[in-house]
Amino acid sequence: MNCEKCQELIHDLLDGTLSRADEFTLNTHLDECLDCQSVRQDLSAIVGFCRSHRGEYETPPNAQALWLRIRNVVEAEAATVKVKAKAPRKSFLADLFGRSWELSLPQLASFAVAIMLLVSIVTVVGIRRFGNNPPTEQPQQQASNINERVFQRQQVINYWKQRVELNKARWSPEMRDTFDRNLQVIDAAVTQSLNELNRNPHDDISEQMLNESLNDKLALLKEFSDL
Amino acid sequence: MCKDSSRRFVFRKSPLVMKATSLFRSASVRRSLPFAVATVIAVCFSSAGFAQQHLSKRYQTGKNVRIELRNISGTIVVESWNKDEIRLSATMESPNAHIVPKQMDESLIVDVMNDNRGRGDVGDVNFKLQVPVSSSVDLETRRGQISVSNIRGASVRAHVSTEGDIELTNITAGQVVAQNTIGNIFFDGEFSTGGTYEFKSTKGDITIRIPGNSAFRLVAASPARKIALGEFWNNGFRTQDGRRYVGDVGDGRSSVSVTNFSGQITFLRK
Repeated sequence: MNCEKCQELIHDLLDGTLSRADEFTLNTHLDECLDCQSVRQDLSAIVGFCRSHRGEYETPPNAQALWLRIRNVVEAEAATVKVKAKAPRKSFLADLFGRSWELSLPQLASFAVAIMLLVSIVTVVGIRRFGNNPPTEQPQQQASNINERVFQRQQVINYWKQRVELNKARWSPEMRDTFDRNLQVIDAAVTQSLNELNRNPHDDISEQMLNESLNDKLALLKEFSDL
Repeated sequence: MCKDSSRRFVFRKSPLVMKATSLFRSASVRRSLPFAVATVIAVCFSSAGFAQQHLSKRYQTGKNVRIELRNISGTIVVESWNKDEIRLSATMESPNAHIVPKQMDESLIVDVMNDNRGRGDVGDVNFKLQVPVSSSVDLETRRGQISVSNIRGASVRAHVSTEGDIELTNITAGQVVAQNTIGNIFFDGEFSTGGTYEFKSTKGDITIRIPGNSAFRLVAASPARKIALGEFWNNGFRTQDGRRYVGDVGDGRSSVSVTNFSGQITFLRK
């Protein structure tokens, strides 16, 4: 059994509609193939989640009627596209749009898994491309990556800082002084690590210190935000 | 006393006494004197109202109890005793402070933060806890010192969000975490086989005092290059220009992580 066939049958396996012979063949393949195992686990988790949360979401009064209306609209739009194309025979795209998309839950889930896989592959390829940059550009690139990361963290920090500022007036003067003093110490650590990283973007100790200082700052702000 | 009775003495009042006497003689002062006395009494009574409050409670427990304490400001002292019970003593600076310890199964939870939500500033609350030797303790405060001694439980955690020293004395626990921003950290104890130990300060000295036969894997980082491993240093240690040391002491059966941004890291042998 190949992976494609296996992944088609996984849905039936999870639905419990698979014959014994197919189930045996499928399980044999799953024992040997880590990728398919992973797909089964993902699907199983998604289906399990959906089953356990069944009934938690409000359904429209007439779900069947709503679904039919949506399908009619989609089909009508697809028909319009066909007319505009003026093509005598159905093109692949028209066929694609004209098709009625009634997906079962496992199919929907496998579609989501496929999207995740695609995004993962794109990410890996992207990272490899960064890794293959000429060595002369790498430090600048890394420095900008670090700054970008810090900027992103800073956005989160700013949010919590605003929350702290709202509550600060309620604190005692001693507590305010303590907080400000400690925030300054952490800020000094962040600045020092950043300066070091700008000098040497490969310095993993400074990177570790920067991450830890930013985490500490965030933790401090979160802790004081509800004081 | 003067023996010569013919001699006459003239006592001269000091200007201050004279002023006080004339003031007392004045009618307006005499009229307002009762009010002044009443004010003094009122102040005395009101200061009695603002005096520190004390709370002392005992809780029957087993031997392996867990204590969780979340304080806002104030010192926390935890020490063991040979009883299967917890004694909690708290001194509250403000009369607004409110503490409701909760005992659940084998754990005692004191959450000053939660108990005083919406009450404004409740000032310092200083705790002293006497607990069974094999207790696990999890202590947090925004500000203030934490001191834990003679504990042989599963875990000891001491977290000061801002400033305050942490002193852990005679500790044998499988998991120890001590973290502050400003302040010293002192650990005196043993590293258990397979245990994890984490010490972290941004600005303060970290001192670790352990037996000479301790076995652990160490990751110590200090950008200020102030790491002194003393007798625990060996040739197997790898270092990055003195800012980070990674290596095994003995067979490295426990894991120790020490991070200090600007203070000293010192290892001492017991």
